[in-house]
Amino acid sequence: MSILILSGLALAFSGFATNSIVMDRHYADIHGRGAEPGPALKRRMRLLGWLGLALSFAACIGASGWHIGPVLWCGLLSIAAWALTLLLQYAPRKAIQGAWIGIPAALTAIALLIGR
Amino acid sequence: MKQGVVVKQGLRQSMSWVHTWAGLLVCWLLLLVFMAGTAAYYRHEITFWMKPELHQAANAPTRIATVDAAALAVRGLQQRAPDASGWLIELPHERNPLITASWTNPPKKGMSREERRNALRQQNFVLDPMTGLETAAPRDSRGGEFLYRLHFDLYYMSALWGRWIIGIAAMSMLVAIISGVITHKRIFKDFFTFRPKKGQRSWLDAHNATAVLALPFHLMITYTGLVTLMFMYMPSPTKALYGDDQNTMFGEVFLNADRSQPARVAAPLVDIRPMLQQAERAWGQAPTRIVVSHPNDAGAQVQLVRPSGQQLSNIEPSMTFNGASGALIASTDAPSTTLAARGAIYGLHVAHFADPLLRALFFICGLAGCAMVATGALLWGVKERQKYAKIVARGGKVGFGVRLVDALNIGAIAGLPVAFAVYFWSNRLLPPDAAARSNLEANCFFAAWAACAILAQIRPTRGMWRFQLTLGALLLGGLPLLNAFTTDTHLGVTLFAGPALRAVAGFDLVTLALGLLLGWAAWWLGRTSRKQAAAGARSARGAAAASSTAQEAA
Repeated sequence: MSILILSGLALAFSGFATNSIVMDRHYADIHGRGAEPGPALKRRMRLLGWLGLALSFAACIGASGWHIGPVLWCGLLSIAAWALTLLLQYAPRKAIQGAWIGIPAALTAIALLIGR
Repeated sequence: MKQGVVVKQGLRQSMSWVHTWAGLLVCWLLLLVFMAGTAAYYRHEITFWMKPELHQAANAPTRIATVDAAALAVRGLQQRAPDASGWLIELPHERNPLITASWTNPPKKGMSREERRNALRQQNFVLDPMTGLETAAPRDSRGGEFLYRLHFDLYYMSALWGRWIIGIAAMSMLVAIISGVITHKRIFKDFFTFRPKKGQRSWLDAHNATAVLALPFHLMITYTGLVTLMFMYMPSPTKALYGDDQNTMFGEVFLNADRSQPARVAAPLVDIRPMLQQAERAWGQAPTRIVVSHPNDAGAQVQLVRPSGQQLSNIEPSMTFNGASGALIASTDAPSTTLAARGAIYGLHVAHFADPLLRALFFICGLAGCAMVATGALLWGVKERQKYAKIVARGGKVGFGVRLVDALNIGAIAGLPVAFAVYFWSNRLLPPDAAARSNLEANCFFAAWAACAILAQIRPTRGMWRFQLTLGALLLGGLPLLNAFTTDTHLGVTLFAGPALRAVAGFDLVTLALGLLLGWAAWWLGRTSRKQAAAGARSARGAAAASSTAQEAA
């Protein structure tokens, strides 16, 4: 189960990161002052970000069931959000790279959830 | 339309006022509650660390069967306390490597509460999980139990008073959280924002990040904390239905609560081994706790309890047997929906269900709660101090309120870690056979805290911040070293030993990490004040140079 939980954490981080890189402040931090994300990009990234968070929830439920899973999810969300906050401050470009971790994590989580 | 806007601004501003005062008035007490509660997630581990005499026995490569362990504990209890009003046996499981047994005697007339408590502390023994033999008597220490009780009972006062004070603080906390969310204008835009080195803005960002990003935890823990004591804070429903007879309500609502009466007819307790086997067959898992009420009486009852497993609820499944005949009387089935809901809410607060990972997450979120309270308290001082910027620049003093809050902040934020550390140091340094030793340890905690708080009131300066933070860092970070000098189970041993000693290694490592964190805070504070001093000197030189050129020009 620990791999499922780990992918849940990665998905939470990736989901937040994907959401954050099209937020005005962080977009400007990454791409230079004054840069603004286009509306289409914004919509797509937000959709992907929320998808990541939803999958992270599914992974937690899969790992710990409906009783404990939501509690675990809240904890993982906090950890992921703190890590991302620090990353966006000290190495904002890394947030884009970090967001990619969601792809392998999503594949792992889906494989583990279906394979059960 | 226009009016709507006015009302909206009004709401936010008034909520900001509520947030400030609901938070500030109770923040120092809340910090104590948060720190003690966070530590209490590991109370069994802390207790184990504080009884080093038991470490060797716990580190057993093999364990005797649960059934035999229970039978041996019962034999020990039969020898010591055949007429006790109750027995409690804890069998080895994940978080408890030992077999512990304790008993309660019927209360004697004219015994004060303190005497009863002290007597209770003597009435227990520990068995080696490998041999079943009694271990050396551990030192008298309440360990993590002190921190757990401190979290909701306080100390030096009756638990009733303590709980009312804590309840008021918790209610203020709930108000502060909700009003804080309403007053936070950019809760989503600033979600991941932290801008260091920007004075007040940085403190606000840190306050937001620790509060908002763990908001589910903070809301949950405050609300569920109030629910744990709801029968005390909201007695009216019980009063309406049961009058003054609260115990009847507890007996009827909580089926686990033992309200059985002794028959006052002697009858020897039957062998409990068959009961354990029956329970193990039914559950597929051995019981972890045995509660015997009125042993050796015809009305004796034996209750076997197991952890609730993958469920939030704190209500543990149990089976109750007749102690004189050995027949199964009752086994708790699924509780009613209402009871299950309360069990889940209560269970969320105490987190008995948590595996090591989840427990660590609860601990980290608890630390975030401490940071939220601390940054909030600091923020008030930083904001308020700005009003005095001009006066201070002219060599004047800040107002009484700012000075008071600064001093209280130092005493709580930097002083409390010192008190916790001193509590642990006293556990190792006080003579093992001192009288009322566990009370002495608690006194050390409060003496250290009082010293920090008073020193802070005398000199609420940056130097005091650095002094207390450094002291806390050395004391907390030095605990692994102290442990190495006073026991045989130091990190060099515990890191490579069996799972039973992981708790000791974990304690050492976590206190070391917290010590490093405090040390970093002290270093950072020193660097900032050096920088400010340098900047101040530069600007003073610049001003002097400017005035001299002006004179020359004239």
